[in-house]
Amino acid sequence: MTLALIVLLPFLGSLCAACLPASARNAEAWLAGIVATGCAALAASLFPEIAAGHVVRLSIPWLPQAGLELYLRMDGYAWLFTLLVSVMGALVVLYARYYMSPRDPVPRFFSFLMAFMGSMLGIVLSGNLIQLVVFWELTSITSFMLIAYWYHRPEARHGARMAAIVTGGGGLSLLLAVLMLGQIVGSYSLDDVLAAGDLIRAHRWYPAMLVLLAAAVLTKSAQFPFHFWLPHAMAAPTPVSAYLHSATMVKAGVFLLARLWPALAGTELWFWLICGGGAASLLLGAASATFQRDMKAVLAYSTVSHLGLITMLLGMNSELALIAAVFHMMNHATFKASLFMATGIVDHETGTRDLSRLSGLRHAMPLTATVAFVAAGAMAGVPLLNGFLSKEMFFTESLQAGGTGGLGIALPALAGLAGVFSVAYSLRFIHQVFFGPPATALPRTPREPTRGMLLPSALLVLGCLLIGMLPERTVGGALAIAAHALLGDRLPDYRLAIWHGFTASLLMSFVALAGGTALYVVLYVRGRALRRTPLISRLSGKRGFDVLNVTIFRGARRFVRTAFSQRLQVQLLLIVGAAAVAALLPLWRGGLAFGDAPLTPLDPTFAMLWLAGAICAVGAAVQAKFHRLMALIMVGCVGLVTSLTFAWFSAPDLALTQLTVEVITTVLILLGLRWLPRRIQFQEPLRHTLRARLRRSRDAAFAIAIGVGMAALAFAMLTRPGASRLGPFFLQNALEPAGGRNVVNVILVDFRAFDTLGEITVVGIVALVVYALLRRFRPAAESIDVPRAQREGLIGGGAHADPRALLPEGDLKIPAVLGRLLLPLAALVSVYFLLRGHDAPGGGFVGGLILATAMIVQYMVGGALWVESRLRIHPQVWIALGLLAAVAAGLAAWFAARPFLTAQVLELHAPLIGTVHLSSVLLFDLGVYLLVVGAALLMLVALAHQSLRSPRRELPGAVDGAAL
Amino acid sequence: MNLWLQHLPILPIVVPLTAGAALLLLPESHRAARLTLAVISMLVQFAAAAGLLYLTSDATSQAWPADTAVYRIGGWPPPFGIVLVVDRLAAIMVALSATIALSVLVYSIARWDRPGQPFHALLQFLAMGLNGAFLTGDLFNLFVFFEVLLAASYGLVLRGAGTVRVRAGLHYIAVNLAASLLFLTGVALIYGVTGTLNMADLTVHAGLLSGPARILFDTGAAILGVAFLVKAASWPLNFWLPDTYSAAIEPVAAVFVMLTKVGIYALLRLGTLLSLNEAAASTLQTALFGIGLATLAAGMNGMLGAQRLVRLISHSVIVSTGILLAAFGLGIEALTAPALFYLITSALASGIFFMLAGMTARMRPHDTQHARPVAMPSPPYVAYGIREPDAYDTGDEVGVAIPAPMAFLGLVFVCCVLLVTGLPPLPGFVAKFMLLSTALNAAPGAISTWLLIASVIAAGLAGLVALTRMGSGIFWAVTERATPRLRLLEAAPVAALVIFCFALAAHPGPVMNYLESAARSLHEPQTYIRAILPEKTGSDRPGTPAP
Repeated sequence: MTLALIVLLPFLGSLCAACLPASARNAEAWLAGIVATGCAALAASLFPEIAAGHVVRLSIPWLPQAGLELYLRMDGYAWLFTLLVSVMGALVVLYARYYMSPRDPVPRFFSFLMAFMGSMLGIVLSGNLIQLVVFWELTSITSFMLIAYWYHRPEARHGARMAAIVTGGGGLSLLLAVLMLGQIVGSYSLDDVLAAGDLIRAHRWYPAMLVLLAAAVLTKSAQFPFHFWLPHAMAAPTPVSAYLHSATMVKAGVFLLARLWPALAGTELWFWLICGGGAASLLLGAASATFQRDMKAVLAYSTVSHLGLITMLLGMNSELALIAAVFHMMNHATFKASLFMATGIVDHETGTRDLSRLSGLRHAMPLTATVAFVAAGAMAGVPLLNGFLSKEMFFTESLQAGGTGGLGIALPALAGLAGVFSVAYSLRFIHQVFFGPPATALPRTPREPTRGMLLPSALLVLGCLLIGMLPERTVGGALAIAAHALLGDRLPDYRLAIWHGFTASLLMSFVALAGGTALYVVLYVRGRALRRTPLISRLSGKRGFDVLNVTIFRGARRFVRTAFSQRLQVQLLLIVGAAAVAALLPLWRGGLAFGDAPLTPLDPTFAMLWLAGAICAVGAAVQAKFHRLMALIMVGCVGLVTSLTFAWFSAPDLALTQLTVEVITTVLILLGLRWLPRRIQFQEPLRHTLRARLRRSRDAAFAIAIGVGMAALAFAMLTRPGASRLGPFFLQNALEPAGGRNVVNVILVDFRAFDTLGEITVVGIVALVVYALLRRFRPAAESIDVPRAQREGLIGGGAHADPRALLPEGDLKIPAVLGRLLLPLAALVSVYFLLRGHDAPGGGFVGGLILATAMIVQYMVGGALWVESRLRIHPQVWIALGLLAAVAAGLAAWFAARPFLTAQVLELHAPLIGTVHLSSVLLFDLGVYLLVVGAALLMLVALAHQSLRSPRRELPGAVDGAAL
Repeated sequence: MNLWLQHLPILPIVVPLTAGAALLLLPESHRAARLTLAVISMLVQFAAAAGLLYLTSDATSQAWPADTAVYRIGGWPPPFGIVLVVDRLAAIMVALSATIALSVLVYSIARWDRPGQPFHALLQFLAMGLNGAFLTGDLFNLFVFFEVLLAASYGLVLRGAGTVRVRAGLHYIAVNLAASLLFLTGVALIYGVTGTLNMADLTVHAGLLSGPARILFDTGAAILGVAFLVKAASWPLNFWLPDTYSAAIEPVAAVFVMLTKVGIYALLRLGTLLSLNEAAASTLQTALFGIGLATLAAGMNGMLGAQRLVRLISHSVIVSTGILLAAFGLGIEALTAPALFYLITSALASGIFFMLAGMTARMRPHDTQHARPVAMPSPPYVAYGIREPDAYDTGDEVGVAIPAPMAFLGLVFVCCVLLVTGLPPLPGFVAKFMLLSTALNAAPGAISTWLLIASVIAAGLAGLVALTRMGSGIFWAVTERATPRLRLLEAAPVAALVIFCFALAAHPGPVMNYLESAARSLHEPQTYIRAILPEKTGSDRPGTPAP
């Protein structure tokens, strides 16, 4: 439970902090401080158990399917890190209280800081690797937010993104490595993984897994070649740099390396990858740090270098080196965090961090100078300070790790050279800032900061001194517990002491001190404005990152331009092409076989009919772009031929429906044609370029091929023996029990009424959509004028005919009379078709279309205004009522405890009329009827109102939408 | 079983239909009544979906035999009549679409349902089409419901003004009509050969086919597959998607996310039912896998190349289609449940993200036209080290205080990024982890497994790169901007979905259990067939269908 509390407490604190007002600086600091010290106290309370060598565990079920649970596990090593994270957290909170400006909106800062602390504790305490990945990514995210805290500065945004992408990418790599590890071991539990070292190292995936893991660890710990994000993360407020980018988050990488060390280390590959990466970072970081101008940049590169040192130690495959690494993790955290805090103080008090501007601050801020001096000494590895101890251990190990060959010389040489640089930059850091003549022209007059700001830094420096002088008394015990947790029985004999006698490593330490001092003197004499690191300044990871970034974005944009066409033609071509390929695949394998059903003898009349139809179809396609009216007429002809074909093959229902549909659609499109803009004038030369010709011939060939293919498929289907078993069932059941002689209608309103219900919904929706679209439609300028025939009075009526006149003037007088006489007749016929539909050709669909046609005639001869001033139809209501009627017909069955749409019959015995046979099926058909009328009229109204809307000049009151 | 409860399967279809029709009757002036009706309808659908989830779960094994409900519409026995089939997969999809539709409805009440447009009715019809497509057990009826949802989507995408929107909308209509034509052709071929439309019966009869009939059947199935791939937005049949989704208003785009999932659902449902022999199954899988990877790559590049947030999200929808197709294409049964989990999270993620985009669009410094691209800071601005940090003075730096609405938007944006890229602690990570670990577990040595893993990881990284850039451009690059006025109605559904996502990540166990049962029954077509056609025990069939 304590473990869960340690992880949860910071997250809860984060939530609370986010809710506090922006000015609550003290409350925030108190909250965060209590949380951090609370975590530390909780961890400390577990000391007796940990010291006894126990492992504290807590598991909560999470994802049993993958064998995962939330598993918190604290052994000595995790305990040490928990303490480090929470104690550093408390100190940083104290520091941040004074560092952050009173005007700063700190809730965001403390909220993310605590969330980060929780994530970091989560990494440390994770007992399974997937959970570790979760917290690992959480630290990346919170770090992103913290770096970008001052997001109005471009470098903060850029630095945050860079850090997030590099470490986030590393996290993905870690996920992959962990997945492989889990696959190898068969479990993601840390206990199991640690116990399966031999299995892992012998597995064929080991190299790949290790490379991925190394990528993750090296990115997180800012190691070469991924180190470049760390200096740019310095755009964060200094407390963040002190906490995340020196003491904790960057330690997550080396933490994991040490955590998995017992299971993974001990191979050549491990040595080359880890030790190699560490060595490169150690040297490059140290060298770069020597030549920085920004105090924080010096510290950032120095952090790269020191983490390189730790990584190198971990890569050496020696137990003693592992202990040294853990020791140095602690030491580095203490002195580097205090140096960051000192830098923050200097920045805070003088207003700049530029080494070339700062000078002689020891006069103005002696306490700060002392603190920074001691901490920098620890960083350089001066004896009696903690940095010296671990560095000496490092030198010892570097002397042994290389063996006897060339490596045996190269490693110590490299370590020594890095030591020289480290002394040089530490010296420069102190000397240029605090020594020399007092600086003039600083943005602010320097003075000692408030006690509270200095206190955390001073406490850390005190730690450096105590550990440096009394290592065994202070941290010996904790280190032993951690080392025992990592190594168990393999724990070698080691001794933390200042004095090991005159050894080669001691000599190296002094050579480094002397060499570093000499190097600094030379550089100082040559001028303090050495801005660029010699040789390696061109190897800028940031530059590479940016170039890669831009290249990726440009490449992606280019790819999208080529791979996603915005042209409809291309898309349709691809769809049809894909269908053709898909259809050809099985045909390719098996071939298309035509059936052997006897062919009906060809009737010459029918052949002529179809020839005409085919010519019309082709003609419509050819003319579609050049002569819309012609194309439409020919499409109408095709429809006519189709309905004649239905009639020819004794399908009167289909023929009737097809005919009425053709009439309505053709008329509606004709009405719409009037509002289309004139056709596009082609530039003749463009039409005749080779490219255009090729494209057209390609499209034509493709269209012909697809048509032939479809025809072949259809022929193959038609010549096969019929397989349908639905047909016979429908025929048998239509009259009894379904009760209808017209099987087609029974299918539509009973057997498959549900399909019909869906389809009428589609029709209704489409009508609504057309109306909504045309309401906003503004016709092209050239189509707005009233047609010439109407303007010159050749034809009366039209949209603007006088609504009061009984009959339109001009040529439309007679048609108007006929059309109005037709309306009641047509209504009667339509109802007749509706009612007889169940037993004879007809039905709601046909009936509705007939009524709609009659109404269209009224609009055409009378004009919209004339019709609507006399007969208000509300098409939308018809649509709604139609749908509701159909649904009601379906729901009727519920009251008989039957499923939806089961036909219900009601026998009514009325006087005079006799027995009335009422069926829910009829109600359903009535719904179809109403909906079809409504849908057709709604589209008609949408078109008719165009002419009312565009030339508004002489209209008496807008009728726009009046019909609805 | 309760007399009225037996009608539960039809409710998700009848309720929105009735509500949509009734909404047409209510005049615009009765806004409160209209909204109440719409919300009640969605709530009933949501409740019905929850009921279906509960009744098909392992908790109530007594409700329906084999946890599969068969509702015979019109009382006609299958295969002659149309049946609705509720198995776990259908229940999940209905619940998912009800969740998103309900959120979108509440969200759109805040400011998107301008008068003069049948927005609410169309939304109801869209929900009806979605639910019908998920529930039906009849191939032609599936076509009908596709038409219903497409017709409604035409209206929704054309909602609003602007040349760009109308152009994109008309392209969308043309493409979908072409796809519907393919659908119909495929159905016709299949019906012509097997003589049946009921999916279970189809499975039985397709298994008996051989020779030329078999080839014609395969041809029909392949054409049908292309139609579904267009709907699911797989590359190169998805050029319409980014244009359409980014031109539509954001709540519409949010609910459109489900349209691609319908395509995936149809592929999954018919794919498992109709892949009868090993050869056909492996061909289908190889094709799906290749198409999936290509789609993923295209979507990934699209995310990187996007200049506007909505376009980026559109491409993330494509990426999720790619991942799903590739996962199904691996042909590993154990992968179905994680893939379904991924489907759920990706649908929620894109839905939330689109709704968020609708709110962030308002905080631009100048309220630009909806369809006009907003210039991002061009990459060279941040690249090539033009701006070296030479100002080392941060001593008196003061951050920018973020007003609460902006903080809300920012946090939701972060959550969306985590969901889309599959980063912890949101369920996107759980889904990705389950996918990859299951694939690795089932076929550790296969190249295809590694291709999938590499692609999924790369897509995550590309998403991170693109989204951090986009987010920093939207939220950080400009500090002086109008803080958008958020209304509770639009923030609440977004917040609710985000909280649901957190809950899903914290307790994925029960959901995964359900999904695993769903996947198991999906890969046992015999159970499905037996539930629908009890008289055909399957013993008369030569050869059991291959998974």
